[in-house]
Amino acid sequence: MNSLLHILAFGGRNLWRSHTVKVLLLVVFGTGLYSIYFGKSVVDDQEGRIAQVRAYERTQFDTLLHWASLDTTSAENKAHYLQAVSPAGAGFGRHFTYYVAQETPPGAGLCLGQRDLYPVYYGIHVGDRARQMNVGELANPMKLLTGNFDLSYVFVFLFPLLVVALFYNLYAEEQEGGTLPLLRSQSTNLRLILLGKGLLQLLVVWGSATALLLLGFLLQGISLVEHGGLFLSLLTVVLGYGLLWTVLMAGVVWLRRSSALSAMLGLGIWLVFTLITPALLNLILLANEPPPNRAGVTHAVRTLNDRIWESPKSFVFDRFYAAHPELDRGDTTDFNRFYHASFTLLDAEADRLQSQLEERVRRRNGLLEPWFWLAPAALVHEQLSKLCGTDRQRHLDFIEQTHDYHQALKQLYYTRIFSGEQFSPEDLRRLESEL
Amino acid sequence: MFKLIVRKELRTAVRDVRLQVSAVLLIGLMCTAVLLGRQGQQQIQAQRAAAQTAMYDVWLDQGEKHPHSAAHYGHFAFKPKPVLSFLDVGLDNYTGVSVFLEAHQQNEVSFSAAQDGNGTTRFGELTAALILQVLFPLLIIFLTFNTLSREREEGTLRLAYAQGLSMRRLFAGKVAATYLTVLLIFLPTMVLAFVLLYQSGGGVAAGAVGKLLALTAGYAVYFFIFVLLCALVSAFTRRSEVALLTLLGLWIVCCIVVPKAATSLADSLYTTPSQFEFRRDIDEGVAGGIDGHNPADERLATLKQEVLDEYRVSTTEELPVNWSGIAMQAGEEYTDRVYDREFSKIEHVFRRQNRLSEWLGFLNPYLAIRHLSMALAGTDFDHHVAFARAAEAYRRNFVRVMNKDMELNHHPGIAFGDYTRGRDFWSTIEPFSYELPGTAALLAHQWRSLAALLVWLSALVGIAIVFTPKISPL
Repeated sequence: MNSLLHILAFGGRNLWRSHTVKVLLLVVFGTGLYSIYFGKSVVDDQEGRIAQVRAYERTQFDTLLHWASLDTTSAENKAHYLQAVSPAGAGFGRHFTYYVAQETPPGAGLCLGQRDLYPVYYGIHVGDRARQMNVGELANPMKLLTGNFDLSYVFVFLFPLLVVALFYNLYAEEQEGGTLPLLRSQSTNLRLILLGKGLLQLLVVWGSATALLLLGFLLQGISLVEHGGLFLSLLTVVLGYGLLWTVLMAGVVWLRRSSALSAMLGLGIWLVFTLITPALLNLILLANEPPPNRAGVTHAVRTLNDRIWESPKSFVFDRFYAAHPELDRGDTTDFNRFYHASFTLLDAEADRLQSQLEERVRRRNGLLEPWFWLAPAALVHEQLSKLCGTDRQRHLDFIEQTHDYHQALKQLYYTRIFSGEQFSPEDLRRLESEL
Repeated sequence: MFKLIVRKELRTAVRDVRLQVSAVLLIGLMCTAVLLGRQGQQQIQAQRAAAQTAMYDVWLDQGEKHPHSAAHYGHFAFKPKPVLSFLDVGLDNYTGVSVFLEAHQQNEVSFSAAQDGNGTTRFGELTAALILQVLFPLLIIFLTFNTLSREREEGTLRLAYAQGLSMRRLFAGKVAATYLTVLLIFLPTMVLAFVLLYQSGGGVAAGAVGKLLALTAGYAVYFFIFVLLCALVSAFTRRSEVALLTLLGLWIVCCIVVPKAATSLADSLYTTPSQFEFRRDIDEGVAGGIDGHNPADERLATLKQEVLDEYRVSTTEELPVNWSGIAMQAGEEYTDRVYDREFSKIEHVFRRQNRLSEWLGFLNPYLAIRHLSMALAGTDFDHHVAFARAAEAYRRNFVRVMNKDMELNHHPGIAFGDYTRGRDFWSTIEPFSYELPGTAALLAHQWRSLAALLVWLSALVGIAIVFTPKISPL
């Protein structure tokens, strides 16, 4: 035990003096700090976009409230008034577009995950949902391809390189520096010396990871008190990943090759586990199971829509009233009722096909899951995304919430549209608080 | 003497077990990537082509209806999977694959593959491009990091110098031998790619061979740049270990860190507007006029008066043509102008972001070959825009044909539902087809990347010519 402590103390002094370690740590902390800034700027941008649509929604709603209280003696005022109080809106125009936003999870800036691929808000009205949800946020595909320079990137890609850089000459340095015979002549076991040195390097890796994660929380304004659990979970994943790379590099050191060959071997393992295996798994998946064609849903919805418009109104009313007898007032001619009832048919068709498609996508993605262990970098990145709430599942949950919101909106509006009741200014205020 | 050096170096390389293992692994990986990539590309292309044909049949079989209803019913355009995308998938997973074309509005190309993938998708697919751009430079580092430094360390460089061997010649010989070794590993895959192109049924896609040749030449230049760079570092570094660490550091910076940092920086410098702003500007443009002083109602009233004056009548009912057809087409054309303006703004932002990365090719040859490779494989941003424009041109044409028919043939007094057209008329709209831009056009777009590679090549050759005589044998 004393020998190990002695080795650790001696190794610590050597590490402290090592220029290489200083340069490596400078690079790691430099890139780490940039990644924290980058993640924060992306999250700020997303929150800015959410704030933008909320401000717009607020202004529009205030306008609506104002219109609902207008004196309707002038034609212009009357048009505004009708727009505000008519649940079906004026003409083909909607009454109002509400914005549903996905709250930014606390750790999103640390690992942006899949969040940049999807919209963080949807504009929702009572119309057919598929068309409203079929929008994406504007993003340069080149940036999406290259990915985000966030803290998870530093942990998943660059930290293994730090491990490789610290460990590749753990043994070879003694051999090539001529100190190996001296070490062998000591009473202390060579393995114990290497173990001590390795432990110190591991502590450097773990210490840097912990410090960067702490900095990430502090600089991104994530409360450690409120989100201590998240911190510990992220730390566990990152430290475990660091340990995995240490074990892999220990295997390289165990081979006792020259520093050049050990560095190449380390880099080779890094390439295999971070670049090649995930890319190969994706390729095998693509070759065996191409992604499903989503245009099929759009086609089915437009076909149904075409049938709706080319058929007598009873095509819609018969189906709609059968499902919603509470809204049936016996009317089979009113355009607004027909128009809105048709959305329910379109929504049902889209939901049916979307859930089938989503099942196919789930099954397709599931094909890779048994092989994830071959790609630890992808596995760790997925875990970090899950913990930070930026994985695909979180987006699907948001879509689900948006569906529920749309459903609630329809219920509120349809009751009035089918009863012919208009909104009063009080109704509108209540509407605002209810939604 | 030069030939002797090359022969000796080649013989040493061939006998090196580590090189043998690396070469077998790389060739194996590349062949896997090329074969599976081609299989995937063919499947996706077959899927999209079948969908395109099916959608055209659906258009023809839509039954009897009013042409404006048909314009609303619309079309689909599916982006063909470029034949060379099996070598470089580029942006294909992040750009949409199809677009719904309908009257009144220009939809975006949607449903990217990445949106349906899990986190692993972001790690990309194993393609020949990934191997050639990222792994080959590593192989070159492995082959060259000690090509001269080891000779110096072992004292053989001094011996060769003492025998009157020119350092420049020795350097050239070693570079030539390394480059030949790299080409021996690289070319079989490209030959396989050629074979796969020719094996596919229906002949080789137009321009594909030229693009593949250009791609091969581009990579050959890229490898030569790396061989020269690595050999120079080895020549002017005292210890092999230092040369190796320097080169590995350079590789990490060039191939791993800078590409991501460049796009992140570009995104910060040129802000992408939000979908909300984009749609709001379109809605406002359509409602209020492009200059904000030409509201839709006034536009319509002005047009109506012009048409009435042209036909010397006082009401639309007296017109010999259908007023709604004219109004709809005018509305379409106005909306098109608004869409063009807003889409070009977005395109401009994306292009500025991409330009930064292209210019950085002058500092990092990886970025130059990356852009060039995507362009030649037909998977870069320009190809995506070209497809979106072709689809939009198709939309505008079929909507115009529908509106024109309504204007000329749906005479006033006939109810909307009573005027219908059928299959014969629908078949006047040709199926959607899209040809990839030609090699010359896309190389013209990629002049920065081409220039960057040539600048790197010339600079390194220049440095080698000037400085290699000064290589220290000690």
